[in-house]
Amino acid sequence: MKGKSTFLAILAVCFIGQAGLQQGVIYDKWTKNYSTKNSAQGIAPGLDPTQLMLAVAGFREMIAGILWVRADSFFDTGNYDAVLPMIRLVTWLDPHQIDVYSTGMWHIAYNFTDEESRSDRRYVPQALALGEEGTVNNPDTYELFFETGWIWYHKIDDDYEKAVDWFVKAHDKKDILRARRNLLRMAYYRAGRIEDALKLEFDLVDEANKIMEGKDASSAFSDNTLRDTRENNLDTDLVRLASRGYFAKERKDGSFERLPYDVKPPFDVGFSAKVTVESSAVMLIEGTWNVLPVGTRVRVILRDAEDENDPERKTKPAAMIWDYVKGVDLAVPTKLTFMQDQLYVRSRRFKKRIDMSRDYTMYPFAAEKYYIEFYYNPRSAPAHMQDKFGYTGEGFTDKNFLNTEVRPGERVMFTRLEITRDQIKREGNFRPGMETPILKTANYIEQTSADRQNEDLILVPGLRSDAKTPEAPKPADNTLRPIRKP
Amino acid sequence: MRVIWSLAATTIGEAIRRRVLLIILFIGVFLTMIAPALTVLSARQEMTVLKSFMLGMVQITGAVIAIVLTVYMIPNEVERRTIYTILSKPVQRWQFLVGKFMGAILALGLMMALMAVVVVILFIYRQSGITSESLALVKGIMMFYVQMCLLAAVGVFFSTFVSPIVNFFLTGGLFLVGSVFNPFMQTMTENKELPPVLLMLFKTLNVAIPNFANYNVQNPIINPGQVIQNEQHYFIAVTGYGLLYIGILLVGAILIFDRREV
Repeated sequence: MKGKSTFLAILAVCFIGQAGLQQGVIYDKWTKNYSTKNSAQGIAPGLDPTQLMLAVAGFREMIAGILWVRADSFFDTGNYDAVLPMIRLVTWLDPHQIDVYSTGMWHIAYNFTDEESRSDRRYVPQALALGEEGTVNNPDTYELFFETGWIWYHKIDDDYEKAVDWFVKAHDKKDILRARRNLLRMAYYRAGRIEDALKLEFDLVDEANKIMEGKDASSAFSDNTLRDTRENNLDTDLVRLASRGYFAKERKDGSFERLPYDVKPPFDVGFSAKVTVESSAVMLIEGTWNVLPVGTRVRVILRDAEDENDPERKTKPAAMIWDYVKGVDLAVPTKLTFMQDQLYVRSRRFKKRIDMSRDYTMYPFAAEKYYIEFYYNPRSAPAHMQDKFGYTGEGFTDKNFLNTEVRPGERVMFTRLEITRDQIKREGNFRPGMETPILKTANYIEQTSADRQNEDLILVPGLRSDAKTPEAPKPADNTLRPIRKP
Repeated sequence: MRVIWSLAATTIGEAIRRRVLLIILFIGVFLTMIAPALTVLSARQEMTVLKSFMLGMVQITGAVIAIVLTVYMIPNEVERRTIYTILSKPVQRWQFLVGKFMGAILALGLMMALMAVVVVILFIYRQSGITSESLALVKGIMMFYVQMCLLAAVGVFFSTFVSPIVNFFLTGGLFLVGSVFNPFMQTMTENKELPPVLLMLFKTLNVAIPNFANYNVQNPIINPGQVIQNEQHYFIAVTGYGLLYIGILLVGAILIFDRREV
């Protein structure tokens, strides 16, 4: 054959050229932009051969879309357990479907509930891990950064620095919706970062003014509303900061000590609690919270004294650490018991029956010892409560349970009772008919019959001049009074 | 060049007259046209399923056409003895092969262009207008076209020395392997427990096997929220890769075909 050496030379050049392109350029770019980014899990684990064939034949996203619709139907029929593998499959097949990640996080963190609609908190770390994976796979859009921040801000409602971190990342993305930028301000306040919150608020107002430049308010309705909202937020926050004495304290000129700011003197909330185990895994929680206005929710947690899923095996007061799960593994720790609820205060008392007896998978009670923790953080309080308690609890105290250590930099109410498995399950010496387990804080005082008559009375601040607030039982001298029109 | 073009033109004519190819094309176009009906299955995922199904149909139809078109190419010429007439003229064997290949990819191009037109029209109809998303679909189909040209080259290469049935399975099998090789490679490289010898073997295979997964760029088209830096560079690189690999396969086919007694 004539020119055989030429063909061989072309062959060699082509081979070297394609090898160089494949290994040096294409593979890296493909891995970065087009892969599922979950290859450590395999190409598509959990798919049957037909689905796998379709997936590799170019129908990956279609299979993902149809599976996700199937997940929706499972959710609609209450088959929540079937939703989890679907979420995982879909995110493997199509890791760029933002909706699957965000809805999946919501399902996991909020929708797995017990008979009394308490969500299964054991899934919160999994929801965070899913959100984090979503941000890695979709780094160009704000959405999953925001959604992950939302879980910290709203669902966990405790470690606000984490919420700030995620919201800041969401802010850095160009596509963030304007209205959603306001939430970072709230997270800053709750994290106690007042300076950062104010700077952001001024920036947001400047931005809104710039958007409105040269526009007529009547024709640019939404832009004008945005500016009004941001200005109103800023004004309100400045007034609050001033009335709570924040600026006076920052001045350090003695004016805070001298003048009667709202947060002075610290108010004693007078917390006390009693837990009666009425029957197996059914607790009646009663107690006092000496604060008159409505809006108090004292957090109660029942959990294993030692959490085997906690890598450091330390006891974290009121469950501070939630992001210990590395990588998405949607299998929930089946031996762990973690109940969290809110105690709503009415007439300065709370009374709530918590039934964990019907949901064995959610409350397995596999450990020998448990903690019942009571926790109140003024940073999570509504604004009208914070007007008295301040941003970090400076206007807040509890002569028995004030704690400045479990949340560094904050003054919170925290106390813990210990309970055994036999007590909570009414077994051993606590079988029905034998001793009833009762745990209480040392300061708990039994109610009188007169107190019980007022038990269900809700004291709501009245705005009418002739509105009368009924006398509350045994008010302490420094009880927070409802604000009434003079 | 005139010789190659004459052969290519003849091949295009043959391809258009072949009923089996037309039936495959018709099925592909028909399934693409019913794609909007599938969206009733998908509620919120409407556009995702629609785009994925349409692109998937274009790809799979293109692959079947590319394979069926090329596996019979040389054997048919030999069986019908038309090859003797051609090679007895001043036509060199390499020109014959290149001409047949050019004809095959041009015919393939015509058929894929028809599917692309159907896809874009349906998408514009669903979207009620021309959007950047409908143009992005064309981008994806163009990448599939390069992929199918590479697949056709594989078919031509094997057709010089194996029977059509064996060729069908060899080419189809290589397409499947090549379509999963990138994810497979990624799995291997991220496995910290993999012995270095095996890793080296996979890296060698990664540069030796025609990598069809490189052209599956539909995910960012289906999920437009994803931003890719220097996408054009990637497209140029994979097109270059395709041309070089087609070069390897054609030269290999020429060298084999040259030794064959025809």
